[in-house]
Amino acid sequence: MRLTVAPSVWAVRVVGILGLLLGLLGGVPEGYTPSVAVVAVVLLGGVLAAFRPDDLAASLAMGVVVVFWAVQLDTQVPVGCLVAAAGLVTAHVAGTLLTYGPPFMAIPGDLLVLWVVRGFLVWLAAPVIWLVARVYADHATPTSFWLAGLATALAGAVLAALVVRPTAESDR
Amino acid sequence: MSEGPSRWHTTGSLARALAVGGFGVGVALTVGRPAVVVLVGPLLVAGSLGLLRKPTREPRALAHLSHVQLYEGQGTRSRLETEGTDDAEFITRVMGQQPYLALHPLGGAVLSRTDDLQPIEISPRRWGGRLVGTEKVAMTSAWAGYRWGPVPLPGREMFVLPTVTRIRSGGEAPQPIGLIGAHRSRREGGGTEFSSIRAFHSGDRLKRINWRVSLRQGTLHVESTRAEEDTAVLLIVDAMADYGVSEGVDAAESSLDVTVRAAAAIADQYLGGGDRVSLRVLSPGGEYAGYGTGTRHLRRILTLLARIRPGVPRDVSIEQIDFRATAGAVVVVISPMLSEALAIATVRLVRRGLPVIVVDPLPPGSTPNVHPDSAIQVAGLAWRMRLLDRSHLLAQLSAAGCPVVPWNGPRTLEEVLRRLARRSQLPRVVG
Repeated sequence: MRLTVAPSVWAVRVVGILGLLLGLLGGVPEGYTPSVAVVAVVLLGGVLAAFRPDDLAASLAMGVVVVFWAVQLDTQVPVGCLVAAAGLVTAHVAGTLLTYGPPFMAIPGDLLVLWVVRGFLVWLAAPVIWLVARVYADHATPTSFWLAGLATALAGAVLAALVVRPTAESDR
Repeated sequence: MSEGPSRWHTTGSLARALAVGGFGVGVALTVGRPAVVVLVGPLLVAGSLGLLRKPTREPRALAHLSHVQLYEGQGTRSRLETEGTDDAEFITRVMGQQPYLALHPLGGAVLSRTDDLQPIEISPRRWGGRLVGTEKVAMTSAWAGYRWGPVPLPGREMFVLPTVTRIRSGGEAPQPIGLIGAHRSRREGGGTEFSSIRAFHSGDRLKRINWRVSLRQGTLHVESTRAEEDTAVLLIVDAMADYGVSEGVDAAESSLDVTVRAAAAIADQYLGGGDRVSLRVLSPGGEYAGYGTGTRHLRRILTLLARIRPGVPRDVSIEQIDFRATAGAVVVVISPMLSEALAIATVRLVRRGLPVIVVDPLPPGSTPNVHPDSAIQVAGLAWRMRLLDRSHLLAQLSAAGCPVVPWNGPRTLEEVLRRLARRSQLPRVVG
């Protein structure tokens, strides 16, 4: 018997591609318009990611979106960033949903709802950062960026060490 | 049980969240772009949550089937028993695709929460050996940061029994020679079916006296009855080749499908009536069951039928096979009669005075499996010539006193057996 791709999988694939495009085109109303070539590259990456969600294609496509925004913006933090962040989260969630099983397996409704809620909750980090960035827009300096970055990296390293250590013990 | 030193490993989702998030933060710090942090902040949060839910326990998974023996068309459930799944959030099960094995949900893939595991329903659609329940299991931690597996779980080798339609036939055995059974014997004895009214002999039961005739004749007369005996049935199953397409139970049947199901139905019919049944399969495996009775013997015959693999018998030619047909046994040869050697062996059984019936299992319009490189026209012509030979062979068998009937369900043999029984009761000229 020939197994066909479940309709829910097709839907999530499309949503993932649209999420990436939303991440790229979220700033169009404010004048941040990407070139056709960039759109094509992201679209290609999105299509590849839709069919091979565990591969590097999705990360590269998201990386292109991040670079586009880094090139387009200076120190300003437009509202379009929130839309773009929502697009990237959508693409990430779609990619995650696609890795739970083979393409012919329908994505259950409870899993879908769970990840929509999770996606929304993590997206809430974007408006928080956006607000902080807006408030400190006139006060922040390159030095303060570096200090914040170092603090984040340090916190990340401590977190990673805490998480990794119990695994090493359990493997023995 | 799960095999090998399986470990939890990071998912592509976690790697993506951390890679893109880290890259974005790096770009933001390097070139001073706070907006980029807004973009990648949610991904970093998702990745961090995935990291925080890193599993610490190694789970175990064991699948088991609800039934160890199935008839074709029946269904069973494969359930998963797990241990140490506290760190897992979802379990994905994907069952291996096998021919003639229907799975539900479609494709045998099911995703469920660890506290609400869903079974996979399996239904074998054709008799024979099937590897049932081979699957891969994967577990995913919360926030999809880590995945365990996919770990392969072994299935169970199961011999799916041919389906049996339980219809009690009214067909009688032509020459029953046995002890106690349901078939009307040619000799008189203590049965229920009327035979004749004859003069009283010493030893006759008084309750058998027919008073009306006795008064009319002036001497005692009794009603005699026919003895009722069991019979022996020898099933000769030709599994030397399989012609036609098999699509499983309740669908298109190949010649071997018809053969096996007919043999199962006949064995069930006679064993259910208390008769003795023997099975001889002409195949490389040479499956054989001696004469026996009862449900255990039926199960043995069905299991042997399920083990059949088509092919020419090894080490022995058909002419040399001793079919062990006992006196009075009904011989049923289920064969498309495309082997001249088997036709000769059948005629030899007829000449021994045994009632022999040939059941033709070849479905109409069936064709052999032709090698892809063969010329289709030549193959078609060869098959037509083969069918002509076959029809000639079948005509010769009929002329030799061996009825040939196409299989048409469990009642196929009834009319033929009645005719054979009538023929056996006719007076014969003994030279």
